[in-house]
Amino acid sequence: MIRHTVLFTGYELKKSFSNPIWPLFGILQPVLYLLMFAPLLKSLTPGGTTEDALRMFTPASMMMIAVFGSLFSGFGLISELRNGSLERYAVSPAWRPAIVLGRVAKDMVVLVCQAILVLIVAMLMGVRIGAVELVLVLLLMAATGLFASGLSQGLALTVRDENGMSQTLNLFMLPIMLLAGLFIPIAYAPDWMKFLAPINPLYHAVEAGRSLFAGRLGDASIPIAFTLFIVLAVLTTIWSMRSLRRIAG
Amino acid sequence: MMIQAQGLRKTFTTRSRKGTQTVEAVRGVDLDVAEGEIFGVLGPNGAGKTTTIRMLSTLIAPDAGTATIAGHDLLKEPAAVRRELGYVSQAGGVEDTTSPRAQIMMAARIHAMADPKRAAAEVLERFDLTEMADRPGRTLSGGQKRRVAIAIGLVHSPPLLFLDEPTTGLDPQNRANLWDRIRQLRDSGTSVLLSTHYLDEADALCDRLVIIDHGQVVAEGTPGELKREVSGDVITLRVDEPERAAGTLKPYARETRVDEDVLRVYVDDGEHALPALLRALEEQGLGLSSIALDRSTLDDVFLAKTGRTLRDAGAAT
Repeated sequence: MIRHTVLFTGYELKKSFSNPIWPLFGILQPVLYLLMFAPLLKSLTPGGTTEDALRMFTPASMMMIAVFGSLFSGFGLISELRNGSLERYAVSPAWRPAIVLGRVAKDMVVLVCQAILVLIVAMLMGVRIGAVELVLVLLLMAATGLFASGLSQGLALTVRDENGMSQTLNLFMLPIMLLAGLFIPIAYAPDWMKFLAPINPLYHAVEAGRSLFAGRLGDASIPIAFTLFIVLAVLTTIWSMRSLRRIAG
Repeated sequence: MMIQAQGLRKTFTTRSRKGTQTVEAVRGVDLDVAEGEIFGVLGPNGAGKTTTIRMLSTLIAPDAGTATIAGHDLLKEPAAVRRELGYVSQAGGVEDTTSPRAQIMMAARIHAMADPKRAAAEVLERFDLTEMADRPGRTLSGGQKRRVAIAIGLVHSPPLLFLDEPTTGLDPQNRANLWDRIRQLRDSGTSVLLSTHYLDEADALCDRLVIIDHGQVVAEGTPGELKREVSGDVITLRVDEPERAAGTLKPYARETRVDEDVLRVYVDDGEHALPALLRALEEQGLGLSSIALDRSTLDDVFLAKTGRTLRDAGAAT
């Protein structure tokens, strides 16, 4: 079981990096956000300095790449469904869940690379974060990414159509993004949005990320976010593995 | 026996706004495939060929029926069955971004082979793919992709290989080349179960075959047996009054069949029957616009069993 999961993870990683230009583009996006968006937030943050703005925006941008980077990874499964390679793996003696788990694990590895790059850039720009907080941020990001990747694979195997999949993702992405306070904290939002925001799981991840970057290790948002995303990640991963059963008995 | 299947059935239910629809894709199929033979499943599109292969390869569970594959029970030991077979789907399963070598090595690793690198190199060599082994899959031609697909399915030297419509979309040269390679498989002791809707393919390649239509086996045997059953030769005539001509020629033929303005007369020995037939038509004053004498083909078998030609059956679905 583990051997096959490792095998598929390695295979997927090799596939991702066979043309390193695409993962590089993926990694650059959050960096560009930091460089170009954080300065815009300066006037909105209480301290009014770039560091304050970055402290608010860096955790948000990390959660953003965790969710939106992984949400698109299911597209790969659709093309493999179409070219028959998924079917081929389903007939092989491979442990079935490994076929999906390998992709999810690949997404995690890519995420960690992206996160480290973002952190390096943020630190160069003046953000400071403690070692414990750093590890917790990375773990939270991994759990968030796991949830999104599982969701994406499951959705891909259910929708099985690139067009339908991109429409579905677009429908959900904008409200989830805005209601999480990714760009502008929910504290500035009207009451009805403040009321709705806690329904959005990503809101909790962003709040917890901000607490960690602010060094408030005792903040309640941190255990809430971890519990929520570990449960959600387990659920979506199980769903994605079960969806595979639908294409192959 | 490599495959023994009895009474395989599969019904699909599709739900849409118009309500639920059920399609009986396979309605009780029996198959016996011996070790080391090329066994064909011939039928028009939509006859249930792919569903049958997908059931036998553990991809979908049959609603009813049992099967033993390479000594393992299909339903009770699917994992053991998967270890024994190679499966090449109609789509092929060649990935675009990775190289044939990487894909073949991955398959070898999944089968826990001792030396995946060597196994991949060997099978690449065997299918003349060494030259393009390290190019991305998307740069390969249709014929090359087919060969890669089969190489992936064969890297672990399975005793049984499933080929679903292996030559669909290939040009005649690539097709003949692939036929030779499939024959070589038999020589090396691999059993092959292939599905096809090409008559000539079934005829040229298969040791034995079943003809299936609407999810049921309508005929089974060697290509020779099946054709002899219909008769040796078929004389195709275009005449003014096909029905009356059929009545006239009945005493000379094993069977006559009218298909719009075409009359087919099945005889044992066409060369010798022809003069007598022509004389009989002339005596009755029946005008003849064309005549052709052919050896009977599997299409004549299909026609005899189902009342349709394979071409018509394919066009209707």
